Amino acid sequence: MTDKVNYLDLVKNGIFKENTIFKLALSLCPSIAVTNKLENGFLMGVAVLFVQVMVNITVSIMRKFIHPRIRLPVFMLIISGWVTVTDMTMAAFAREVYKEMGLYIQLIVAFASILARAEMFASKNKIAPSMFDGIGMGLGFLFALVVISFFRELLGKGSLWGYPIIHAKPLLIMILPAGGFLAVGILMGFFNWISVRYENKTR
Amino acid sequence: MTGKDIFKITFNLVVIYVIGGVILATVYAWTSPIMYRNAVLEKEQALKKLMPEADKIEKIGDWSIHEKHAEYFIAKKGDSIIGYIIQSFGKGYSSYIDTLIAVDKDFKVQRINILKHAETPGLGDEIETDSFKKQFEEKDLEHLEVLKSDTTEYVQAISGATISSRAVTEDAVKNGVEFLIKTIKEEGAEHDRQS
Repeated sequence: MTDKVNYLDLVKNGIFKENTIFKLALSLCPSIAVTNKLENGFLMGVAVLFVQVMVNITVSIMRKFIHPRIRLPVFMLIISGWVTVTDMTMAAFAREVYKEMGLYIQLIVAFASILARAEMFASKNKIAPSMFDGIGMGLGFLFALVVISFFRELLGKGSLWGYPIIHAKPLLIMILPAGGFLAVGILMGFFNWISVRYENKTR
Repeated sequence: MTGKDIFKITFNLVVIYVIGGVILATVYAWTSPIMYRNAVLEKEQALKKLMPEADKIEKIGDWSIHEKHAEYFIAKKGDSIIGYIIQSFGKGYSSYIDTLIAVDKDFKVQRINILKHAETPGLGDEIETDSFKKQFEEKDLEHLEVLKSDTTEYVQAISGATISSRAVTEDAVKNGVEFLIKTIKEEGAEHDRQS
């Protein structure tokens, strides 16, 4: 019973307490680059979730065979290996999905958040907790990208997932890179404000 | 760190990288024929989609733009020529944009399609939207120009992606149509002389 609670905590930890973007401020580059449309943000989030879980599992399985001095090059190999495998299998078997997501998948190799979780968590923990940490971190990333891209598309294009919602001239700046910085900054502040208030109340 | 350690670390790294390489090679060997078949199939379908009226689309030659190899085709219905399709490339913001352009007998653009590109997601990739591609319908060579203001006579730029819009319109499509006009007319002239 206690095990289950732990896993749930790991997932929650990834979404709220150690949210990659809003709390750890890692992988901010993709959080600005691909969040100008809700669809893009969502697809990127799903791709990262998958790679993060697979990388965490692989690193956790291999943690005893990896000499500590060479762990970073090995982690990079695992990450790029999974990304390439995903990229190739999707291109072969899921053409339609690949057309939408292909642009993003290769970018994942350079994500700091995935390397960070492999180094900070998966290399020190057993397979099951590593997997749940991956799920939590991936969901947290997905959640952050969806929230950011929701506001950017709504304000910058007046639409959501390509469907027009607001019929007025949109704030173009929100879909340009500058708007990405604004959105990430404001949302990061907002989430930190909420968590500070929440912590004060529970204390 | 002793000599033994160096050996151990090197061995460790080599083994892991060799395994990684073998896995990648296996997956590639397994998926690449499927990818190739998909690409061929997709191209055929793309050609058909550009000229749904045609019942026969044949390749008539190769040409190159931006040092990239491209092909052009003739579209026939029965025995009469109804138009041409040409593949072309445009130099975009972050990639070469691979396009297919269908023109009628009088070299007026009918439809275009974007096959491949790596423009900025969310901005440059708007060139794939129907609303952008539709603008090319019935445009002749003189009207293949990008304007930043509202226009139906010319091609209206995508906001935030002027470079990508220009690359498609003034680079890929314009050069492709220009090449077609030049080659087909020359060939026609030669034909006349011979007969």
